[in-house]
Amino acid sequence: MKPLIEVSELVKEFRSFERAQGVRGALRDLFFREHKTIRAVDRITFEIPAGEMVGYIGPNGAGKSTTIKMLTGILMPTSGLIRSNGFRPFHERTRYTRTIGVVFGQRTQLWWDIAVVESFRLLKNIYNVSAADYDARMKRFDGVLELGRYLNTPVRKLSLGERMRCDVAAALLHNPPILFLDEPTIGLDIVAKDHIREFLKQVNREHGTTMLLTTHDLADIEELCRRLMVIDKGKLLFDGPLEELKRRLWREHTIRFDLKDREQALKLEALASDGLTVERLSDLSLRLRFPRDAYTTAEIIRRAVNSADVLDIAIEEQPIDEVVKQIYSGNLLQEPVP
Amino acid sequence: MTRYLSLFGQYALQYAKVRLEYRWDFFISVLTMTLATVFGLAVVFLMFGRLHDLNGWRFDELLFLYGFSLLPMSLFNVFSVNLYQFSDIYLIQGKFDRVLLRPVHSLFQILFEQLRIEALGDAVLGLFILSATGPKLGIHANPLNVFFLCAAILLGALLYTAIFTILCTVSFWFEDKVGVMPPFYNLIAFGRYPLDIYNGFIRVVLSWIVPFGFATFYPPAAVLRPSIYGHFVWLLPVVTAGFSAAALWLWNRGVRNYSSTGS
Repeated sequence: MKPLIEVSELVKEFRSFERAQGVRGALRDLFFREHKTIRAVDRITFEIPAGEMVGYIGPNGAGKSTTIKMLTGILMPTSGLIRSNGFRPFHERTRYTRTIGVVFGQRTQLWWDIAVVESFRLLKNIYNVSAADYDARMKRFDGVLELGRYLNTPVRKLSLGERMRCDVAAALLHNPPILFLDEPTIGLDIVAKDHIREFLKQVNREHGTTMLLTTHDLADIEELCRRLMVIDKGKLLFDGPLEELKRRLWREHTIRFDLKDREQALKLEALASDGLTVERLSDLSLRLRFPRDAYTTAEIIRRAVNSADVLDIAIEEQPIDEVVKQIYSGNLLQEPVP
Repeated sequence: MTRYLSLFGQYALQYAKVRLEYRWDFFISVLTMTLATVFGLAVVFLMFGRLHDLNGWRFDELLFLYGFSLLPMSLFNVFSVNLYQFSDIYLIQGKFDRVLLRPVHSLFQILFEQLRIEALGDAVLGLFILSATGPKLGIHANPLNVFFLCAAILLGALLYTAIFTILCTVSFWFEDKVGVMPPFYNLIAFGRYPLDIYNGFIRVVLSWIVPFGFATFYPPAAVLRPSIYGHFVWLLPVVTAGFSAAALWLWNRGVRNYSSTGS
């Protein structure tokens, strides 16, 4: 089967000028500007089959939003090809946008001054949604997202969480096969995040809606996406399952040992050797750190148990945020894949 | 086409609701509109009252020209709000993203998403002047004249829309908050007087470069002086069609250059 979204060698360049400082600089800028070309997206290639939920992450300014804006037809690619749901997004935008839904976490798609329900009615007309479909979908949105309570409030008076629920519902009103979400959970509290994630999962399950979402919150990815793409400085650095990424970034394991007394602790400390470091957490608690390619976890535990009287063992999971930090500080994939 | 018409109806309805929501704002603008109309009329009398003859045009004729010139302009101004603020709000603040995500042509959304019904105040003034001066000049509200008037108003408003859309598209290439429209807006005032009082340069500009003359002067002049200006009137649909096509083409080119905002 052909993938629903195909992107190949996609490039977007922006021309910008550098602003000089001070009044004198501003005056000079009036007449002479130093232009330079910035490549925001640099030869990205990927495919997304129908029904998949894909996470798209990267630090600020990495090119995430630019990619989404090209995929949704807002921006024209500088070069490269996009075929999404059978359309070239920019060139066939008016027909294409009928078949997609878009949520921008930072900016509402609804009309600011009118009641939420009026925005929905306008969208119903813009997308030619039949009255029967409209009623059925509104009922469902109300069921999961509890929209009913603020349908008659103007958008500008909603809290961020309420607004985001409305935005997600609005993007799905015409039941598009593809949904793009740009930071859909940004700034939301845990409960609101959970609501949105549950709803997205449900929509994917029931309608097979394909989703591509950017986020800074890896919990979104863990909850929603089996597949993850990482972009930085415009280049696609990783494309695969989250587990694979963790494996690749986690070159070290750590195990914490609690010991019976100080004597035992000293015995364990003596294990320190090439590649195996021991960190003292307290008098009776030590952390062993070792490279994954040199030792297995089982091997280290066997050694420890053989040499000292161990009370308790904890294999420490690296927190997901650490993974993100490593990606964002540029530690990803500089080396070949093991 | 019918879809766009019904969408326009929807937009207008929403607009009315918003305006009614901000009640005081609405009352105040109705009051402002009425006052502006009254002052406008006063200015006309003060100004034209002193002119008994301008290059062969009599007082009533000058009033008639002025009265007509208000009509296409006021119709255009009902839809022009977003064109004036397009660069600032849509391009620089990035609101254009939302517009591009909807399956309706972007220019349609820009023109009809925000209305300014107060602008019709000038039309009331214009119609009042026409009905007061017309009969004195032997021009009566017979079906032919009314049809001609309506056509000239619609085409004139469309011509304004086309010209200002073209000016608007400049912002796609040159980022700038205000845009290049204000000086051109002021140029319209020239068109309210008989074009033959100006030198050749201004006449050429107002007829062929920025052809406001077709939306202001030529249609009423064709009625008052058919032998001289009658043939210009047939050019109105041609010029309007040409400028509209150019505006649409430039707009679509401009959208290719849209670069959105960060994030």
